[in-house]
Amino acid sequence: MINTIIKRDGRHVDFSIEKIANAIYMSAQATGGKDYDASLALARQVTDYLEQKGFEMPTVEEIQDAVEKILIENGHARTAKLYILYRADRSKVREMNTRLMKIYEGLTFVDAKENDIKRENANIDADTSMGTMLKYGSEGAKQFNELYVLNPAHSKAHHEGDIHIHDLDFLTLTTTCCQIDIVKLFEGGFSTGHGFLREPNDIASYSALACIAIQSNQNDQHGGQSIPNFDYGMAKGVAKTYRKAYISNLAKALELSCNEDDMLDAIKSICKKIESDYGVSPVLSNDNDYHQFEAQVLKDSFNLPDEDISKAQVFALKKAVKETDRSTYQAMEALIHNLNTMHSRAGAQIPFSSINYGSDVSAEGRLVVKNVLLATEAGLGNGETPVFPIQIFRIKEGISYNKEDPNYDLFKLACRVSAKRLFPNFSFMDSPFNKQYYIQDDYNTHVAYMGCRTRVMTNVYDKSREVVCGRGNLSFTSINLPRLAIKAHGNIDLFFEDLDRKIDLVIEQLLDRFAIQSKKRVRNFPFLMGQGLWLDSDNLSLDDEIGEILKHGTLSVGFIGLAETLKVLLDAHHGESVEARNLGLEIVAHMRSRMDAESEKTGLNFSLLATPAEGLSGRFVKLDRAKYGVIPGVTDRAYYTNSFHVPVYYPISAFEKIKIEGPYHTLTNAGHISYIEMDGNPSDNLEAFESVIRCMKENKMGYGSVNHPVDRDPVCGYTGIIGDVCPRCGRYDGEEIDVEVLRKLKGLSICEAPCCDDNSLESDDKVTHPI
Amino acid sequence: MENQTVGKGVKFERIRRITGYLVGTLDRFNDAKYAEVNDRVKHSIQKETGEFEQI
Repeated sequence: MINTIIKRDGRHVDFSIEKIANAIYMSAQATGGKDYDASLALARQVTDYLEQKGFEMPTVEEIQDAVEKILIENGHARTAKLYILYRADRSKVREMNTRLMKIYEGLTFVDAKENDIKRENANIDADTSMGTMLKYGSEGAKQFNELYVLNPAHSKAHHEGDIHIHDLDFLTLTTTCCQIDIVKLFEGGFSTGHGFLREPNDIASYSALACIAIQSNQNDQHGGQSIPNFDYGMAKGVAKTYRKAYISNLAKALELSCNEDDMLDAIKSICKKIESDYGVSPVLSNDNDYHQFEAQVLKDSFNLPDEDISKAQVFALKKAVKETDRSTYQAMEALIHNLNTMHSRAGAQIPFSSINYGSDVSAEGRLVVKNVLLATEAGLGNGETPVFPIQIFRIKEGISYNKEDPNYDLFKLACRVSAKRLFPNFSFMDSPFNKQYYIQDDYNTHVAYMGCRTRVMTNVYDKSREVVCGRGNLSFTSINLPRLAIKAHGNIDLFFEDLDRKIDLVIEQLLDRFAIQSKKRVRNFPFLMGQGLWLDSDNLSLDDEIGEILKHGTLSVGFIGLAETLKVLLDAHHGESVEARNLGLEIVAHMRSRMDAESEKTGLNFSLLATPAEGLSGRFVKLDRAKYGVIPGVTDRAYYTNSFHVPVYYPISAFEKIKIEGPYHTLTNAGHISYIEMDGNPSDNLEAFESVIRCMKENKMGYGSVNHPVDRDPVCGYTGIIGDVCPRCGRYDGEEIDVEVLRKLKGLSICEAPCCDDNSLESDDKVTHPI
Repeated sequence: MENQTVGKGVKFERIRRITGYLVGTLDRFNDAKYAEVNDRVKHSIQKETGEFEQI
């Protein structure tokens, strides 16, 4: 008589014949069976068989073996087959659970230093409690989605590394990113879901609200957030600040001439009257007739001599310009400080933010760009290099590119700042794929770049809305190109056939994911959709599904390791041979044409992405090395090369690299970037720095930047290149240094950073933990 | 009496671009990215014209 069974985890539980009967019945049902009694009879046979065999306390495995045997003996072959499959499924689930528990164990008990999963994304500090909690959620969601949500074919392809479904943890939850129109958002104010914010009234509030908008939206999506019209948006705040400053300074000046106590209200109402009568305001550039109208009103109202009025106006103008400049600098400084310190997503990371600027030629917009650059150059509180926001300076002929252009001075400044701080990056509006949309007077046509490289512009869903603002990427999945080449054994035709199959698979997977995303409702995205940030979301109500308006977004197929692919196929990458260059372009052009065809077919925005690959750079190659062994030039490094880049280890001149990579920018319409690694300190050679950027533009790139080492010694505050020894204070990494030595440095006033005073030396000492 | 010292154990910060964004310390880079950053070579900049050599 069996009373007890042993479960897999070793626990003893009561034996129940119904459980066996239920399992048999479920398998039978799937083949059309409807007879529970028959299942129960079979379960009895199983019990009899086990008792006959002398089992007093059988294990679950033993019972399941017996069920299979009895089913087959009784001629229920199809039911038996399903039962076996069900068993296999259950053990897969168990295996996954065990794997998940192992991952959780690592997250819990191992430091990030030792645990690669914790360093999957360098923007998240997974050693903090909130960071670890985020990783629990993320790893658990990934396993759940792999097991229960994804089509098994997609899950298998992802798991085995044929493809990589990015942000798999968010598969059922949200979309990637959005280009936020701050001009529109600020008009009339907005709500964060936790309170209403009035339309801002000066540049300080504009900058604070820009940060809040980024932070709020970051919590509704899994990717980064971008402001595509930073100069245009902030310019409105500058105009308000100037107007206020002008009025208050004029009031002060006239109080003196008129010997009055308080003229602020009087001047305010005069200003309002002129604005409503003549439609002009006091403006920074002073290029309208405001002063003329105002002089007349002042003369009529206060009976003042012309000379006094003119003097007061000049005084107010000068003061207001100065104060506005100062306020704008402070606002930009605050913005950068906020975006490097404010928390999002349960506090584990700072918002992933990008701002685009450079094409606004108004005095206000120019003042914004000048000051955001100067604040970036100055750095954070102790002179640290700000890591966010990612800044993108727009290059455009006639606007910012040539010596005679109105914003050429800002381009120069941008070069200087980037040479010191790595930002801004540069985007090129004259490259044909960007230029085709560009209209100077409409920022909504100025192509923007988000985060690492994302670009969203074409709109096959609604061709009349090929705009920047309110759109973003929905999801993206990358293809393991080198593996396709390895599997094809150098046969290029086979490679393309297999590539097509993988593209088919990824398209199907992106559409599955889109179907899930489409079922979401406005209420799932209180900020992104609830506040009308996403294009057309302001036409929906809280319980509406968002499927239709999501079609403004993009579905992107990405790739990494073009260099390794070419190595396999031709024994040379595109830096090494002309043949490889041609084949590289052929491969990527083919992928692009498949995206265009799919867009045509579905009316959805399929686009091709040059995948940045942070977590992915190591994942594919690890799997391929296990599968195919170490292949020189292919799987012999810890990473596959980023998208279409010439390998980072390959010696090549900057201009050659740009010339080779340039054409890929045209093909990768979902986003791209090229980097040049500059030797030495580029601040000492700004001419060379600018020539690299100009070369990128001339080679029709969309987006590029220059890398160079930016080191900092937190003890003496030196920022620049540090080898083994700090060139300022002479200490080695981690070495202690005499306070007197630092005092002397300070005495020579080499160090202007506040870190040189004794207090901050101490606090630096305290907060910096040795690794 | 010994002089007071500071900075013991304080590491230099090495800011690098990871994929598109900056990271203030190499400690947060995953293994693959760390290897990649170490492999990066400089690209020479020919002065003046920016003429390309034919490869």
